[in-house]
Amino acid sequence: MKWTETRTALHLWNRGHWRDYVFSQGMLFVASLLLVFFIAIGLGVQNLLDRFLSTDLPAEQVRVTPSGVQAGFFQTESGGVEITEEARNELESSLLVQRIDPQIYARVPAYLKGLLGGQPYYTDITLEGVTGQFLGDSLLKDIDWSYTLADSADRFLPIILSENLLLLYNAGFAEPNDLIGLTPEGVLGIECTVTLGMSSIAEMDRPPITVRARIEATSRNMNLFAIGVPFEFVDQVNSMYIPDGTRRYSALVVTAKRAEDVPEIVRLVEEMGLRAETRRGIAQKAEILVGSVTAALSALAGAILLSALSSAIHTLVMDLRNRRFALGVLMALGTPHNRLAMIFAFQILFMSALTMILGAALGCLLAWGASSALLSLSSVLRVSVDSLAVFPIGWLAAGTGFMLLISTGIAYVFFGRILRTPVTRLLRP
Amino acid sequence: MDSIIRARDIQREFGDIRVLEGLDLDVRPGEFLAIVGRSGAGKSTLLAILGTHDLDHGGRLEISGRDTALLSPPELAALRREYLGFVFQDFHLLPELTALENVILPAVFSGRDLGTARTQAAEVLSRLSIRADETPTTLLSRGERQRVAMARGLANGPSVLMADEPSASLDAESEQTLFNLLDDLRREQGFALIAVIHSRAVLERADRVLELRDGILHEVD
Ligand SMILES: Nc1ncnc2c1ncn2[C@@H]1O[C@H](COP(=O)(O)OP(=O)(O)O)[C@@H](O)[C@H]1O
Ligand SMILES: [Mg+2]
Repeated sequence: MKWTETRTALHLWNRGHWRDYVFSQGMLFVASLLLVFFIAIGLGVQNLLDRFLSTDLPAEQVRVTPSGVQAGFFQTESGGVEITEEARNELESSLLVQRIDPQIYARVPAYLKGLLGGQPYYTDITLEGVTGQFLGDSLLKDIDWSYTLADSADRFLPIILSENLLLLYNAGFAEPNDLIGLTPEGVLGIECTVTLGMSSIAEMDRPPITVRARIEATSRNMNLFAIGVPFEFVDQVNSMYIPDGTRRYSALVVTAKRAEDVPEIVRLVEEMGLRAETRRGIAQKAEILVGSVTAALSALAGAILLSALSSAIHTLVMDLRNRRFALGVLMALGTPHNRLAMIFAFQILFMSALTMILGAALGCLLAWGASSALLSLSSVLRVSVDSLAVFPIGWLAAGTGFMLLISTGIAYVFFGRILRTPVTRLLRP
Repeated sequence: MDSIIRARDIQREFGDIRVLEGLDLDVRPGEFLAIVGRSGAGKSTLLAILGTHDLDHGGRLEISGRDTALLSPPELAALRREYLGFVFQDFHLLPELTALENVILPAVFSGRDLGTARTQAAEVLSRLSIRADETPTTLLSRGERQRVAMARGLANGPSVLMADEPSASLDAESEQTLFNLLDDLRREQGFALIAVIHSRAVLERADRVLELRDGILHEVD
């Protein structure tokens, strides 16, 4: 069939039905748009949650913390069993343990002052001494993680900022004060001062000491107000301000010789009355939350897919049903079935594919737009993820393709049934 | 000469109503066969079966020597396209299309040369006194629509034209004009005409008159 004839055929076929046709294609357009939009945003939200709940803890490590006291929802870090030198020694003597990296809180008031984002910023902090292993080998290459007060004259105190503190800064400080938010990458290299022996609410007998510090890294594994500094520095400060105090660890990061031994170590730690966190434990907790959100999102996505699909099927089948009579007339006139199939292929397969691809493209665009808009509104989000929308091309194509295939497939079956229906029945009103 | 249509023992019932009860019919090429019968006798039912529009019947129907029961839907379509022209009692024109477009519809969808189809259609329409303009057929009078349907039935150059009460909405004079024209066309193109007729004046033109009564056809002299 030549193109001019095809064009004339389609032109005559659609005369007086353009509006219905455009409307039904519009339905397909919206259906694929919604589908793609929700897949992209849904996966983006899941991504965001994952990011919030993820941990850097390697599989062969156990993070040991004091048991603290549970009061309702709140878990204090003191009052329960504390991590003493003996506890550390006991763990260290276990054959399963390869290494222990201790963490320790400075038991003196402290505050941080500096220009963050060009604005003066002050906050009370807790110093937590960590060993270089906390940084990981890749960072440890670039950062000299040894520091004592003797170095204060000619070196910066290297500090690790909690990413949670950044979130707090962004949401609680930057936003109300109309300042730009900070990203983990953006704060690296910022210089500030750390003052020991004094905070906004406390002061000690000894005069405070102020040292210059520089943010060298950020971490998701630190407590909200804790600033990570070299272990030896905290040890030194503690013995200076509280000469008769015994050493209490805030945490021990225990590395097992083999990842399989982690459960055994966890049992050992719990027998000692201490708390043990493992990647799997954290992951399990996160999994429950992410799992329920994922289930809700999946149910929503399923409902959207189902309604998009049924609306697509309904649209295409209604399109054909409305043209039963016209098809009957064409069949009565002896129109070859392959010509009718050509109309079907163009009007339904080709145009629907085009419409759905365009709808999916606009869905992506809208998801991207919505993501950009939300990110520009909230610096908390901006710090956490690059985008709130995720575009897994394969899945989006599969979703749209599935919808196209099923809806046009069913329409094709319906069309085939019309072609096998006796003409009299098609022409009956 | 062989029959172009050969029907044997045709039966058709709708639920409990038996409309056709073992009817036989032979249609010879070029003849004018008039079918009469009271309303509800089954004349339209018979034409639908002969036109292969209704396949749910008993008995055996051969068109141009081929048993229609053995043909697939596309083969039946080819058969209709090649041998049969049909004018429905209710015309069944596509209302959104103009007279000319309705007439060239079979050609457009059969991939025939559009220019030729248009010229031929315009000629037949003008002989039937229908303007080939932009008026959609919904706006035409009943008589005009009937003639457009007639032109469409002839568009594929059929061997048999089946017309269900083609002069029902025409006055006596228009009726004579229509059948004069059909006689001319039949002489030129040689198609057989099976028409359901009521008018006595037209019956006289027929080669044979058959009355459908009690589910079978009876020769009328
Ligand atoms: N699809 C149908 N379902 C049920 N009864 C039908 C159907 N078509 C026709 N009939 C019945 O068959 C009989 C013959 O109808 P028809 O062939 O239209 O008669 P005629 O054309 O001779 O007036 C009528 O009684 C009619 O009611
Ligand atoms: Mg009738």
